[in-house]
Amino acid sequence: MTNTPTRRAFKAASIGANIAGSYLGYVLQSAFAGKTTREQKLKTTHTRVARKVRDEMLLMRGPAMKLGQTLSLQTGILPEETLAELATLQMQAPGMHPSLVRVQVKTSLGKEPEEIFETFSPKPFAAASLGQVHDATIRGGKRVAVKIQYPGIGETIESDFKWFRTITKPAQVSGHIPKEAIDEMERQIIAETDYKREADNIDFFKKKLAPLSFVEVPDVFREYSSDKVLTMTFVRGRHLEQFLASGPSQKVRNQLATNLFDLYYFQLLNLGAFHADPHWGNYLFNDDCTIGLVDFGCAKKLSKPALQYLKGVYLYSGSRHSAEFRRLLETNYENQGKKLPRAAYRALVDFAEEYRKVYPPEKDKQFVFDFSDKTFLTNYIRHATNLFRTKHVMTDYIFMARAEMGLYNTLHALKARVPTSDIVRKYL
Amino acid sequence: MATKTPAKTSKARKPGKRAQSKQAIRDRIVKAALTLFQTKGFDTTTTKAIARKAGIAEGTVFNYFRTKEDIALFFFEEEVDHAIAAVRDDLRLRKAPLEEKLFKLVHSQLEFLAPYERFIGAALLHALNPASHLGAFSHRAQQLRHRYLAFVAELIEDSSPRRKNDALSWLVPEAFWIYYLGVLLFWLYDTSKDKQHTLAFLDRSLNVGVSFLQTGRR
Repeated sequence: MTNTPTRRAFKAASIGANIAGSYLGYVLQSAFAGKTTREQKLKTTHTRVARKVRDEMLLMRGPAMKLGQTLSLQTGILPEETLAELATLQMQAPGMHPSLVRVQVKTSLGKEPEEIFETFSPKPFAAASLGQVHDATIRGGKRVAVKIQYPGIGETIESDFKWFRTITKPAQVSGHIPKEAIDEMERQIIAETDYKREADNIDFFKKKLAPLSFVEVPDVFREYSSDKVLTMTFVRGRHLEQFLASGPSQKVRNQLATNLFDLYYFQLLNLGAFHADPHWGNYLFNDDCTIGLVDFGCAKKLSKPALQYLKGVYLYSGSRHSAEFRRLLETNYENQGKKLPRAAYRALVDFAEEYRKVYPPEKDKQFVFDFSDKTFLTNYIRHATNLFRTKHVMTDYIFMARAEMGLYNTLHALKARVPTSDIVRKYL
Repeated sequence: MATKTPAKTSKARKPGKRAQSKQAIRDRIVKAALTLFQTKGFDTTTTKAIARKAGIAEGTVFNYFRTKEDIALFFFEEEVDHAIAAVRDDLRLRKAPLEEKLFKLVHSQLEFLAPYERFIGAALLHALNPASHLGAFSHRAQQLRHRYLAFVAELIEDSSPRRKNDALSWLVPEAFWIYYLGVLLFWLYDTSKDKQHTLAFLDRSLNVGVSFLQTGRR
């Protein structure tokens, strides 16, 4: 395997890779390297590149970050902690100075921000995926958040993907990076560049999440919005880091985590659609344990059969090695027109065993899972990685895995105890 | 660079009634010419056609401009005037970093040129012809370029005062000219919606360029 054409292609690709830099190149190479070389390479690469990759992904702040994260799940080369961190990191565009902001708003809405809004702060108060957010007030004095997209980001992403598809051709053929997985990522990431679609998502979740009294979703002002500018009501709350710095009690942390958990499973199992960008900038926390949810660019809708399958396997009470459980898994693959491969079956059973520890099926009002223990998080990621490496993961679960990993990482940061099974049971 | 670059090309602008009507006619000629340059092409447009479009006698056109190249050059002078004024008159830019001021300058130029994009492409080619009045080598075009670059040098000076015998001080405006032509070409060939790629290119390249310049000067 020292000098096969594939290896050479990967080498060339990693040299030419100007976006994700050497890490993505390494990811691709290592998919083909033997285990010992992989481990050895990993050691040297980690120290040299670990910081660089984070910096670069942050700096490039583009789709490379999401790509990198999903791919590492696929190939298992990033340490578990880094993966969890990546899930909660933000996809960011470069900052815009006030003159560029003005041009963007004028191009998009036809007028300069000062003409549209009663007040408009030229400096952003937060970074958003693909842009930045400005504080403003509309006529009548209502305070709003105006999200403005960095110019040309949609096309940049498209060309990044073109480049990426070209250099990963061999890995697509070998199945290490399934074409459907790239399609799925591209679809989702491109969708995020259309703020009109995001406005639709906000309206959808605003309506559907109404039963959850502890969640606040903003209102969109369509008359001040376009595909590149999104104006919504200001949502109160603090980001996780700030919230934790204020030293909330265990009780508050537990309640907040329980609410977060409830929010996730309400979306997943009740709506069959969920907010799939779990990075910490998207959640705002309050002392009364309410949660402000912002940035709905990345929302994922599950197909009916996929949802049915999830309802069947969560809290499954029989043995994971039973024929019945196997049948559940097989049906899920058949629904997608696929046969359940042996490797995927084994990985899924192992994964399910791990799940059982967090979501015991037995009814027990006292049961709470303690997320302060990191073992679960690393185990979860190890199992997810194993599953992804069988090359037979369902594309539906790419974003679900990301959302779930992000959720667990947040619960771990909160060091919270959550009645996991009780919550899931409500929505089965 | 102690002297301020004049914001306007030296033209009689303080209007009496007579001057006002003269200016109105000149504006009409320029507008008619540019519309024709844009729709029919620069080369095929005649002064006769310009006069007809402007609704005046062909002889009157010659009272204002000797050739159609002069009309084009007048337009480019106005473009530079407009861009310099846009930076100078924007109070919000007073304390802005250099890259933002340069962004505003170039963007104002592009904004001014935008309605006549097709003509700009042709004019750029024309500018390469040494015999053309519009050409980069004609005296009037040279003057215009110097005024533009003097303003760029002034902006740079304001943001990072140079040391004595600084080689960069003459090199940078010259480099900026080449950069500007590059941006213009990029803009002409940019097919993205609302020329969003040009905006991103302008922003990123100025960021890199200015930080490069400032590191060099430190």
